[in-house]
Amino acid sequence: MKKILIVDDDPNIVDYLTTLFEDNGFLTFAARNVKEAMELARKEIPDLITLDLEMPEEWGPRFYRKISQEKNLKNIPIIVISGFPGCTHAIGKAVACLQKPFDRDELLKIVKDNLK
Amino acid sequence: MFKKILFATSTTEASDHAARVAFNMAQSYDANICIFHVIGVPTRGFSQIVMDVKTKEKVEIDDEYIAWVKEEIMVYYSKQLEKAKSYDIKVAVGFPHREILREARNNSPDLIVMGGSTGDDEDSVYKKSMVGSTLQRVAKAAPCPLLVVNRPAASFWGGISKVVFGTDFSKASDAAFKFAVKLAKDLGCELNLFHALDISSLHMGRLLTQDEIESQIRESLRCIRGRYLDELKGIKDYSFDVWEGLPYIEIVKYAREKHADLIVMAHHTQKSSNEDARLGSNIEQVIVRAGCPVISINK
Repeated sequence: MKKILIVDDDPNIVDYLTTLFEDNGFLTFAARNVKEAMELARKEIPDLITLDLEMPEEWGPRFYRKISQEKNLKNIPIIVISGFPGCTHAIGKAVACLQKPFDRDELLKIVKDNLK
Repeated sequence: MFKKILFATSTTEASDHAARVAFNMAQSYDANICIFHVIGVPTRGFSQIVMDVKTKEKVEIDDEYIAWVKEEIMVYYSKQLEKAKSYDIKVAVGFPHREILREARNNSPDLIVMGGSTGDDEDSVYKKSMVGSTLQRVAKAAPCPLLVVNRPAASFWGGISKVVFGTDFSKASDAAFKFAVKLAKDLGCELNLFHALDISSLHMGRLLTQDEIESQIRESLRCIRGRYLDELKGIKDYSFDVWEGLPYIEIVKYAREKHADLIVMAHHTQKSSNEDARLGSNIEQVIVRAGCPVISINK
């Protein structure tokens, strides 16, 4: 079963994404901040990560910078999901960037395309 | 992976750097190395009088002269040959590119190794920035991968541990990718997939905004994932990157940044016209500029 790591500080988004992904046959893990996310990523080596940009303490791009230094994690596809308008290129190597509120079908399509 | 290496040499300084890599590879992979030298071109038709490319003298070709040339080659490479486990020395008469290709067809080596342009001293300034005509012609028709060491800096070599594969998403690149994957798996090396987004000529002089460039980069990254990711299973370490700029410069920069030991690229680019397909100008420039050996894949 493919694993998805959800990184977001908003519990409503985490709940929504968890339900959405689990209903579609994925295993999920959630982290509320970058520190938790790094620990989970190293432990579980997810197949895909959804990442919020603005979070308490460290922000999403800093998380990306950290995982891109690690051999096991650097190639994991990242989908940015953020409330920021115009955040499309905040993380250059993200596979997609969605703005909240996002279309669930569009998100699922991107996830499935990247987890073939 | 490399059991038969055809080292095409002018037996001059221009081939010394390639010699270092060729002999080192032969030793590392227990390969047979065939040192192949073309003496020169007959003055006319099937004349026995040949202009020796090395001595620049007109000579009459007979068994004795050929034996002398072989002896000279043995002396020139004596140090390397001491360590070589299995080697042949062959000489031929004719146009260098034709003879090299003929030898490659007859003996099906796994790899041809060539050096840079011999050039004449007085035009060396120009010669240094373009590949020689023999190299161009061999690259165009080689039946196996061709490894080129053009600059002395490209030859300081201790085996292959990091490979850069440059792609333009053409069919020819897919063939080069297969070779790069096989190489990375067989030799257990890191494979870095790279695409350079050409922002110089495609847009008729219109300046692209950075957002447009970055959107295209994202699209190219998606393309790399979609096209190549499935084949990368079993490779210990890999990465993919897309940089914008002048493709050949970006590939050379990327290889430098990654400390690459080898660049693998397809010979034919997307350009279809015969004139342009001579040697895709990108790989031509990469060969000339790279700080490591470059393997050109023809088919």
